[in-house]
Amino acid sequence: MKPTNLTKDQIQKIALSALGFVALIYCYFNFFLGPLNKSRASMMVSIANLQSKTASSKAEMKKTANLEIQAKEATGRYEALKATTADGAPIAWFPPKMRAFFADQGINKVTARLESSADFKQKELSDWIKDTWAIDLPQSEYGDLGRAIAELENSEPLLTIQHVVIHAVPDDPQYQQTSLIAQTALLKK
Amino acid sequence: MPLQLNLLHEEITQERQRKRDPLKLGIIALSFFGALLFLYYGWNAYRTIQIKGRLNAAEREWQGTEPKVTAAQKRATELRQIIDSTKVLNGLIEDRFYWAPFLAQVSHCVAPNLQVTSLDGSIVEGRHAVAIALEGLAAAREPRAAAEEFRQLLAEQLEKNYGEVKVIFRNLEDLDTPVNLSGVSTPSARFILSVTFNPKPGDTGKTEETANAVAKSK
Repeated sequence: MKPTNLTKDQIQKIALSALGFVALIYCYFNFFLGPLNKSRASMMVSIANLQSKTASSKAEMKKTANLEIQAKEATGRYEALKATTADGAPIAWFPPKMRAFFADQGINKVTARLESSADFKQKELSDWIKDTWAIDLPQSEYGDLGRAIAELENSEPLLTIQHVVIHAVPDDPQYQQTSLIAQTALLKK
Repeated sequence: MPLQLNLLHEEITQERQRKRDPLKLGIIALSFFGALLFLYYGWNAYRTIQIKGRLNAAEREWQGTEPKVTAAQKRATELRQIIDSTKVLNGLIEDRFYWAPFLAQVSHCVAPNLQVTSLDGSIVEGRHAVAIALEGLAAAREPRAAAEEFRQLLAEQLEKNYGEVKVIFRNLEDLDTPVNLSGVSTPSARFILSVTFNPKPGDTGKTEETANAVAKSK
């Protein structure tokens, strides 16, 4: 092959063309294709994240729906237990409630007073308060008292009698004088 | 052979040189290459636009799902709290000691010649035990025997329903003054009984199960 003799001018032009080629490649990859690819890659990552978030959210919603079914009984029970707490301060409604309850059982002149109030140790019961009440029944027959206590224990699931003191009334041995210390779990309102 | 004269020699050479101009060729090559790169860029841009569309769709879907999932998470937390609270409350309810059956048992054990004058009972917190002090009077020819009979009967009856039953005398003393029992003057004794028991029945069932298991293994 015959070697081509290039003039100085031609060599300069070739060098200029090569420079232009390099500049083109550099600009193309750095200012056009590079950012485009970068933005596409970041969008792909965002799509993957969103899709995984959406999928896990859907799974979570399904789990919640299942939990709702499972918790139906517990929810009903909880609502019933919540309903045992009346509106207002317990000191305002609990003593009259006890008075009315025992009056229905044939035991009159019942008084109830709040002894103490404290939070439960269990963190699950942070919405509940433990009140301790002293209930005095100045005069009652033993049979009536037993029936009343049975009825109280059955109708008030969140009431626990901690202490019972029964004394015979000296002048009238047919009757007893009774003091109860009862603990109630009441919803904080 | 005829003689040929090229009178345009210089012009042809110039024309050839113009055609072989490296700058011109370079510009043509660059333009061609640039066009290829532009097409490739266009293709990439098209794909990017498509992906942008997918991203927008995913974002729209997430925006629709997010409030629902936030509500679902809140509800799930609430439900878990309700379940846990109900479990603890049920535990409190189930662990209660019912006094009415105990009072009924005491009354069934009291014979006509016996009078319980005082009952002081309380739940010993943390020990799952109930402690009761019973004070009374027993009247009979042998008042101490009558009191002992009451103690034994009470222990026997309580053992049917409760575990670890202990019924012991804290005090038993004869009284100097006899009492009138159905018109008859009868000697009497004053007693104080200490009753303790575990509200949960004894592990008799468990013992039977263990015995059965042992018998089967043999």
